Amino acid sequence: MRHFFFGGVNPAPHKESTRRKPIARMEHQPKQVVIPLVMSTGEAAIPAVKPGERVAIGQPIAVGRGLGVSAHASVSGRVLAIEERPHPWGGVCSAILLENDGRNTPWPGRPEPLDPTQVTRELLLARVREAGITGMGGAAFSTAEKLSQAAGKVDTLIVNAAECEPYITADHRLLLERSDKILQGAQTLARALGAQRAVLVTEGDKLNAAEAVERRLRKRSGKVELCTIGTRYPLGAEKQIIQTVTGREVPPGGSPLDVKCVVLNVATVFAIQECLFRGKALTHRTVTVTGGAVSRPRNLWVPIGTPLRCLVEEAGGLREKADLILTGGPMMGTPQHDLEAPVVKSTNGLICLTQYERRQPAPESVCIRCGKCVAACPMHLAPAFISQAVRQGELHKLPRLHPQDCMECGCCSYICPAGIPLLELVRQAGELMEKGGQRQ
Amino acid sequence: MNSTRSLRLPPQMGQPTTTAAMMADVMVALLPSLAMAVFFFGFRVLILTAVSIGSCLLFEYLYRRLTGQPDTLRDLSACVTGLLLALSLPATAAYLIPVLGAAFAIVVVKQFYGGLGKNFMNPALAGRMLLATFPVLMTNWSKPLDRLSLWEVDAVSAATPLSYLHTGSLPPQGLDQLFLGLQGGCLGEVSSLMLLLGGLYLVMRRVISIRIPASYLGTAALLALAFVPEGVSAGSWVAAQLLSGSLIFGAFFFATDPTTSPVTPRGQIMFGVGCGALTMLLRFFSSYPEGVGWAILTMNCCVWLLDRAGLPRRFGAGRFSVLREYLSRARLSLAEIHFIKPDLHFSLIKEGKMPGEAHLDQIRTQAKALLHLGAVLLATVLVIFGVHRFTDLDTARAEAKQQQQLLAQVMPQAAFSSETPYRASGALSIQAGYSADNELVGYCIEVQAQGFSGAVTMEVGVDLDGKVTGVAVTDHKETSGVGTEAMTPAALHRYVGKSGTIRSSGSNSVDAVSGATATSQAITAGVNRALAIVATLDQEGGDVDYVDGEV
Repeated sequence: MRHFFFGGVNPAPHKESTRRKPIARMEHQPKQVVIPLVMSTGEAAIPAVKPGERVAIGQPIAVGRGLGVSAHASVSGRVLAIEERPHPWGGVCSAILLENDGRNTPWPGRPEPLDPTQVTRELLLARVREAGITGMGGAAFSTAEKLSQAAGKVDTLIVNAAECEPYITADHRLLLERSDKILQGAQTLARALGAQRAVLVTEGDKLNAAEAVERRLRKRSGKVELCTIGTRYPLGAEKQIIQTVTGREVPPGGSPLDVKCVVLNVATVFAIQECLFRGKALTHRTVTVTGGAVSRPRNLWVPIGTPLRCLVEEAGGLREKADLILTGGPMMGTPQHDLEAPVVKSTNGLICLTQYERRQPAPESVCIRCGKCVAACPMHLAPAFISQAVRQGELHKLPRLHPQDCMECGCCSYICPAGIPLLELVRQAGELMEKGGQRQ
Repeated sequence: MNSTRSLRLPPQMGQPTTTAAMMADVMVALLPSLAMAVFFFGFRVLILTAVSIGSCLLFEYLYRRLTGQPDTLRDLSACVTGLLLALSLPATAAYLIPVLGAAFAIVVVKQFYGGLGKNFMNPALAGRMLLATFPVLMTNWSKPLDRLSLWEVDAVSAATPLSYLHTGSLPPQGLDQLFLGLQGGCLGEVSSLMLLLGGLYLVMRRVISIRIPASYLGTAALLALAFVPEGVSAGSWVAAQLLSGSLIFGAFFFATDPTTSPVTPRGQIMFGVGCGALTMLLRFFSSYPEGVGWAILTMNCCVWLLDRAGLPRRFGAGRFSVLREYLSRARLSLAEIHFIKPDLHFSLIKEGKMPGEAHLDQIRTQAKALLHLGAVLLATVLVIFGVHRFTDLDTARAEAKQQQQLLAQVMPQAAFSSETPYRASGALSIQAGYSADNELVGYCIEVQAQGFSGAVTMEVGVDLDGKVTGVAVTDHKETSGVGTEAMTPAALHRYVGKSGTIRSSGSNSVDAVSGATATSQAITAGVNRALAIVATLDQEGGDVDYVDGEV
C-alpha cells in the first residue's frame, strides 16, 4: 500500500543546469583549507595537532567528545594556525588552518578496510565514530550517536535520496554514479542495525539514478527496496519520509526511533561505506555549485574545509552580481555573507542567486484566509491561525494549535499569496509556548 | 552557534502567486461566462458589468479615502466583487440596481468589517441577495437570445427551469440546452459549460481547491437523487437540478471565496457538504425555487465553527486522539457530579450537632434554592395568567364565535362576513357575506325597529336576488313569554325567501304572531327596511333611500 504525506509545495526545481554534470574533482586545489572545530550539533572538538605539524589526508586533527565529531585533515600539508574563522552557520568559530602541499598523501595510519562479512555492530559504531561522520543532508547530527541509539531498536532503515530542495543535485549525482557502493552500504547498515527492511527513497525527477539503482539491485543478492516518489517538497524531511515509506507518524516531540525507523542521507551512507570498506575518514563530499549568478554550474567533489570562494572560482566565477549566496537549498538554506567560510560536512550546495531569481521582498498584504498555508503544512499545523494568534496576542489559543511541532520547512511562507512571514510568526509562537511552559 | 535554526531565512524562492494575481485569475475565469451572457442577452450586459465594477471601485476608493485608510484598489478584490455582482443580476435589471448592490456589498458587508479578508459574508452575494428582496427588480428573467436594447427594456419574461423543478417536473429544455445555457436566469449562471471551463481554470491554476465545489455539487446531486419525484427519470432529474439555477456558479465562484470559506481542508469539505444540503433543502421545501444564495450566506456565518471543527489532526497524534481526549475529559467532568448520600448515623450528639444535622444543613440550602425556583415559577405563572385574563383574549374569541353563529343563522350559505364601505340611514351596519369560495353571497344588515316596549335590534340576511336568507334578533326589551313568541326560530324562519315589501296580510305577507303583534310588526318593519336598503345598494356609498312601507 502506498502512503502519502499531507501538504507540501512544488517549487520550481531549477535542477536542469547541474543534473547532467558528473561529479568532478577540483581542477585547482585550494591553497588553504579551514577545518572548523564545530561541524555537528554538539560540542566543539579538541585540536590534536599543533601549528607547524605535517598532516596527511585522513589524519585526525581534532578529537570529538559528547555529541561532537572528530575532524580530519582533508588535504596533506602543514598546520598553519588554530584561530577564529567565519563559519557557514553564522558567526565565527575556532578552526584549524591547513596549508595544502598539493601532493594528496594519504595518512599511513588509516584503518584496514573490512570485509563485508565481518562487520559487526560494535565495529560499525567504532569505525563511524572514528571517521567523524555526521548527517550530510543538513541537520549535521552525529551519525555514530544516531546509529548507537538505533541499533537493535529499528525495523526499517530509510536511505534518503529525495533531495527535494530546488537547485541541489549533489545527492542525485552521487546516487547515479556510486549506486553500487550506496547499496552495499545500505545493506551492511541494515544488517548491523538489525533492520528487516532497507528502503532507498528517491524522487521522480531522478529517474536515471533510480534506473541505475534498479539495474544494480537485480545483480545484488541482498534486499534493498527502491521507492520512487513523485516530486514534492519536503519529502526529504525525516518525519515526512518515514510517513511516506511506512505510513507511521512520529509522535509529537518524539524521534524516528519511536516508530522504529532510522533515516540516513544517501551521502552519509556513502561515507559510511567508504569508511568501512576503504578505511577512509570523512574528508571529502559532493557540493553543487549553482544558481543564476554562477558562470559554469557544476557538481564538485571537494575537500571539507575548502573556502566557498574557491568553489565559486572553480565554477567559473560569478558572471553577474549575486544578490544572495546560500549554503543549502533556497527553502531552508543559510545565507552567507563571507565567502571565506569553509565547506563543512553538512554543506550540500552553494547557491548564488541573482536578483531576478530571488524572491523579492514584496510589501505584506492582509490575510485573505485562502487556506493555502494550512493545505501546504506537512506537519498538520494551521499557520494562518497561529500567526493571527501571535499578532493579536491571544496566547491562550496557542496550545490548541501546537506551534512547537513546526519543523521550519517554510512551505507556509513560500505559498502565502499575501507575503506574510508565516514561518517567523510560527517560530515565534513556538518560542512563546516554550517560555510559557517553563513559567508553569 | 550550536544551532543552525536561528539563522535560517524564510524560503528564498517564489511566492508562486499573490493576492492580486489570484483575483485577476478569478476575473479571467469569469470571462467565458461574461462572453456567453453578451451573446445571449446583448450588449446591455457589458454596460451593466461596467456600472457594477465601476461603482464597486468607486465605493471602495471613497470609503478608504474618507476613513483615512490606504487605498486597496490594486488588490483587485473590488473588481471581482463588481463582476460577480453584475453576473448575478438578470439582464433586465435597471442600470442603477448594481449601484445599490455595490454600495451594500462594498461599504456595509466588506468595509464595515475591516475590508479584504475580514468580512464574514461574501460581499457580492450579500449585495445580490439584498437586491433579491425587491422582487420586482430582480425576477424579470428574459429569454436567452432575445437580445435587449441598451435603453428600453421590454423583455419577454421567461420562466426559469427552476420554477418547473420546484413543481416537481422537468423543464421543457433538453439537458444539452441547459448545459449550453438556453435558459432564463442571471447573466452569469445560465451557461454551465462556460462556468465549468472557468472553474477548471481556477482549479488548475490552484486559485481554489476542488474540495468545496466537489463536495457542494456531490452533496447536491446525492440529495437530488434522494428526492426524485414520481414519473421522472432519476438521471435527468439530477442533471437538471445541477445544471439549472446558480448551483454551478455558486459552487465555483461564491462558495470558494477564500475570505468567507473555511481555512482548513476538512472544514472546506464540511462547508461544501453544508452548502449542498441547505441548497437542496431550500429548493425542495421552501417557497422559493432557488436556494443557492441563502445556503452559501448561511454557511458563511458558520465558517468559524467549521474552522474549529476542521483543524488538522496533530501530526503523529493518532486518528481519533481529539475525540478520545474529549471523551476522557467529559468522563472526568461527569465524575465530578456526586449524589448526596444521607449521612444519617444514629449516634448521640456529635460535635455539638444533632444526628443528621449536617445532612439537614445540606438539604436546607437545596430547599432554599428550590423555594427560590418555585417562587420565580409562581410569579411567572401569575404574570402569564394575569396577562391572559386581562387582555380579553377569551372575550375576543367568544365575540368572534358569536358573530359566526349569528352569520350561520342569518345567512347559512355564507362562510364568513366582512365589513363593507356602504352606509345607509337606518342600518346600524352592513356586512357582506362570502361563500367558502370567496364569492359574494349577500348582505347582512343590522337594523332596529320599535317594538312593544323598546327597540328591537335584528340582523337580516339578504341574498343578491333580494330574498331574505334569515333573520336573527340580537337585542330586545320585549316581555319574556309574550313578545318573545315572535322571536322563536320558527317564527323568524317564516321570513326566509320573502322579497320586496312584506305585508301583514294578503299576498307576500307574514302573519303576525298572536299575542305578540307589536313585536311581529316591528320585526317585519325591520326586514322590510333591510330589503329596501339592499335593493338600493347599487348606489355605492351614497345614502340609501328608504321609505317606510305600509304596514
